[in-house]
Amino acid sequence: MPELTADVVLRKIKSGEKVERADLRGLAMPKAVLEGVSFRRCDLDGANFEGARLAKTNFKNASLREAFLAGADLREANLENADLEGANLQGATLVGANLNRANLEGANLQGADLGGARLTHAQLDSAKLGGANLVAAQLSHADLSDADLSTAKLDGADLTSAILTRANLEEASLVGARLRDAKLDGVNVKNANLTDVDAPGLQPGGDPSGRIKRYFGKGDVLRNAALEFDAGASVEIESLFEQCTIALGQGTELVVGKAGLLSGCQIHGAGKITIHGKFVERETPGIVGATQLLVSAGGSMIGAVEQPAESTRFAFEPGCYLRMKIQPKKEGPTERAGKAGSGRQR
Amino acid sequence: MNGRKTLVEEGTQFKGSLTSDCPIEVKGRVEGDLTAPALTVSASGAVHGKVKVGEMKSQGELAGEFDADVVQLSGTVKDNTVIRARSLEVKLTPANGKMQVVFGECELEVGTEPLPKDLPRDKTPSLRPPPEAMPLAEPNGSTAVRPPS
Repeated sequence: MPELTADVVLRKIKSGEKVERADLRGLAMPKAVLEGVSFRRCDLDGANFEGARLAKTNFKNASLREAFLAGADLREANLENADLEGANLQGATLVGANLNRANLEGANLQGADLGGARLTHAQLDSAKLGGANLVAAQLSHADLSDADLSTAKLDGADLTSAILTRANLEEASLVGARLRDAKLDGVNVKNANLTDVDAPGLQPGGDPSGRIKRYFGKGDVLRNAALEFDAGASVEIESLFEQCTIALGQGTELVVGKAGLLSGCQIHGAGKITIHGKFVERETPGIVGATQLLVSAGGSMIGAVEQPAESTRFAFEPGCYLRMKIQPKKEGPTERAGKAGSGRQR
Repeated sequence: MNGRKTLVEEGTQFKGSLTSDCPIEVKGRVEGDLTAPALTVSASGAVHGKVKVGEMKSQGELAGEFDADVVQLSGTVKDNTVIRARSLEVKLTPANGKMQVVFGECELEVGTEPLPKDLPRDKTPSLRPPPEAMPLAEPNGSTAVRPPS
């Protein structure tokens, strides 16, 4: 039994009395109009606010575990640090609400409107957010591991440093979303719209990690091969490659492992290359158009690098071995024709 | 050395040959030859010429021929530059951040370990610096080098 009944709560509110810190467990107030009321630090576990009008209501630090808030209007409500574990917020309106540091573990937010809501550091692991609107929501540092975000709209959302481990983003829209430093292990982005997403390496695909992985193990020898890896793929080579040509798509990560040796090879394309093993070119330049080249301690790079127009991002660790030429982008036939007669020879 | 160093202050241009038994810090511009146990080129500094030092840290502009044991590099490396070092460090910056080093057309010869047998030495590119490696010094006015107080 709650400390106060619904009638008493309504009377108190009408008379301007505070209901903060009250024990209101199991309170049943469906469709009630409680806009702007303060339930700060109240115990509202299992309360029923279905379809209630709760705009700008203050639930800061309140406990709403297993509460029933389906279809409630909570726009601009203050739910900061509230405990909503297992709560039902299906179809609720939470536009502009403050849910910073709220606990929404396992909560049902299917079809909820969270446009522009603040959810930084919120606990949303295993939450059901299928079809939810999270456009421009602030989710930095939020824990969304194992959450269902399928078909959710996350356009322009800030997911910086968020945890999305094993989250389901299938068919979600993430246009312009920011996912820098987010944890994306095992995230499913199948058929998701990732246009202009700021997340190095995140690409749509069937692989649950979001990246297409290729691994060439120790002991394997590949000769005279021409290999092409799609944009966003992740390639690791621990084998011996001889006289091979490797084409990298935009953002493809190529790692030459410690045991890897690329002898007489050429790599071209806007990929990110890390050399822990050895690379020796055949035809110069051996690397063309790489956006990033890291040679780690113990890595060897012998050859020339032709940078793309926007320059290669280089990193060298102490202990690496370099016999390396760095060149600017080679001029195309049109550009060369424009400079004909300049007399420059290479 | 007791913490002493030779400082080429910001706004100062030095042309010519400078040999020092204490570290050199360049915040201005040096065109010519430098020999010292250590060289620091700050973000406002530029060194164009032939340099032989034990340790070199640069955040500024380098052009010419640089021989050092240990090099830490950021800033800009201009065209026709050769850097020879036992150890080179260039840190990786975030993809959307400022570039750690902008390399012009240059050569890096780093590490003294002999190549393993499996690396075909005959395929290595020419390591000889091009004859135009040394930029021409332009005639100019004041030259000043002063140690810090």
